[in-house]
Amino acid sequence: MSEKSAQEPQLFDLTLTDEQRMTRESMQRFAETEMRELSRQVDESREIPAEFFQKANELGITALAVPEAHGGAGFDRSPVSNVLIAEDLAHGDMALALGVLAPLGIVNALRDFGTEAQQAAYLPRFVEENFYPAVVALDEPRVTFSVRELQTKAVAQGDGYVLNGVKSAVPLVETAQLFLVLAELEGQGPQAFLVAKDTAGVTAKAEPFMGLAGLQLGELKLEEVKLGKDALLGEGTGFDYTRFLDLHRLGACAAGLGVAQAVLDHTSVYVNERVAFGEPISHRQAVAFMVANIAIELESMRLLVWRAASRAEHGLDFHREAHLAYINCCERLMEIGTNGVQLLGGHGFTKEYFEEMWYRNLRSVAAVNTGFQL
Amino acid sequence: MKVLVGVKRVVDYNVRVQVKPDGSGVATEGVKMSVNPFDEIAIEEALRMKSAGKADEVIAVSIGPQAAQEQLRTALAMGADRAILVETDQTLEPLTVARVFKALVDQEQPGLVILGKQAIDDDAGQTPQMLAALWDRPQATFASKVEIEGESAKVTREVDLGLETIEIDLPAVISADLRLNEPRYVKLPDIMKAKKKPIGTHTLEELGVEIAPALKPVKTEAPQARQGGHKVESVSELVAELKNKGLI
Repeated sequence: MSEKSAQEPQLFDLTLTDEQRMTRESMQRFAETEMRELSRQVDESREIPAEFFQKANELGITALAVPEAHGGAGFDRSPVSNVLIAEDLAHGDMALALGVLAPLGIVNALRDFGTEAQQAAYLPRFVEENFYPAVVALDEPRVTFSVRELQTKAVAQGDGYVLNGVKSAVPLVETAQLFLVLAELEGQGPQAFLVAKDTAGVTAKAEPFMGLAGLQLGELKLEEVKLGKDALLGEGTGFDYTRFLDLHRLGACAAGLGVAQAVLDHTSVYVNERVAFGEPISHRQAVAFMVANIAIELESMRLLVWRAASRAEHGLDFHREAHLAYINCCERLMEIGTNGVQLLGGHGFTKEYFEEMWYRNLRSVAAVNTGFQL
Repeated sequence: MKVLVGVKRVVDYNVRVQVKPDGSGVATEGVKMSVNPFDEIAIEEALRMKSAGKADEVIAVSIGPQAAQEQLRTALAMGADRAILVETDQTLEPLTVARVFKALVDQEQPGLVILGKQAIDDDAGQTPQMLAALWDRPQATFASKVEIEGESAKVTREVDLGLETIEIDLPAVISADLRLNEPRYVKLPDIMKAKKKPIGTHTLEELGVEIAPALKPVKTEAPQARQGGHKVESVSELVAELKNKGLI
């Protein structure tokens, strides 16, 4: 954080600052006591209780990123710190973590790309006492969806824009007050639009998904949605879609790391305690190697994510690093999810343990874009 | 009223400690260190007194290596006003720790000292009582509820027979038990504020405290692995089991 930025940029310095260390302690404790307990309930009810958002909001996760001029704590923009927060919260529960972090992503996007007027208009909402749900709407519902070919279209009309299209897998779709909608703007490529929930032509509907059940993913329909000129993030200057996508995906990767760590933490104890054929199952190499591989893969994913985030923090190009991290996370997180279930044998197939839920949630990183702007 | 609270740097409660091969103690290298959980409760109680207008200043004190600054920063992020680190790399006995606190009490003249009832590393549980004796002031140990009323405090203590409520004159020493409160989560913006709060440092020499070990640790060993227990259905089955094991 600020201490770090005062030093010479250390591209690969893994030493946490005092602030990062304290932040981790606080997040880890919150995740352990307030999130893990709620995990199963949220997965089954497909809903995050409002009290949870309130409690998380009191920690100041979103407010920390808002500049002091807009009432926040004005932390330096630190993708690395955000990686740590995401990992620690998702260690408690991934759906809850991504729900809580979604507004932080919007704050960061506003800081990175928003005009001064946009920052002044929107940022104060994120330091209010009440949790302000704001999310990114990126994915679209078709098999051949590519983030590079958005079919949600924006057209300049009069003094503003008109949006048409359908977004899918949008987090907190029915409760969000503000959407950052990615759409193809005629002649200008992909752009981001700030769309309030109550704008005419906007309808939202949650749909069942395999994992992240509590996150209330769903469809956002935009039919002839008329927006002002100031709805375009950056108002035509400065929006960098590649940077946006990279940081958004790294956000999902970071959360995935937390879940993978939870798998490792639980299975490594489980295989030493579970006795079969007169000895702990960890005495079988097929079991021990699988646990060891989870640890190795997890650490390598973590290093890739940290490296990409660190380069982003220092203003260096990080597209390549982010992509390597993302691809690796997509594949390895799924593998860790399935191996977690496998290590528990028959127990893995029951709902008595978290592994089956972690397995479902870990598949989300490769399947949908539900991360947040680091 | 000034409140002085103790903040000990200990191995985190989640860590499975390993005894060093030579039996000289437990391995602490590369191990996660945290604020002693009972001390966190002590800090929380002092902070609540402050927000209730019963205390004006909360001072966090740690005695230990330079790295104990980390735990003091946590106390400051929780809301303590300032911190004092008495720097030493030696392992101190409770009596020495109590003497250090006495020296600080003489300097700061607090109205109350709140310490954790024990530290989870050595589990000695002696410092608060020793400090009260050296200071010649009242003590209320194992507190589960504290109410400040003017120049005195009403303290509910957790004792073997249940709960005991006593009234003590201030200044005094209170030791915090587990159920006194639930410490707050550190809010992230407060972490930034903590950076600007001062940490004063002292050495034992400056405070005129000599290290005079009176105890000699003989050996440290890991507890023997226990067999898992099982549940019985009835009292008669329990008695039969106990007889069977030759315990009664």
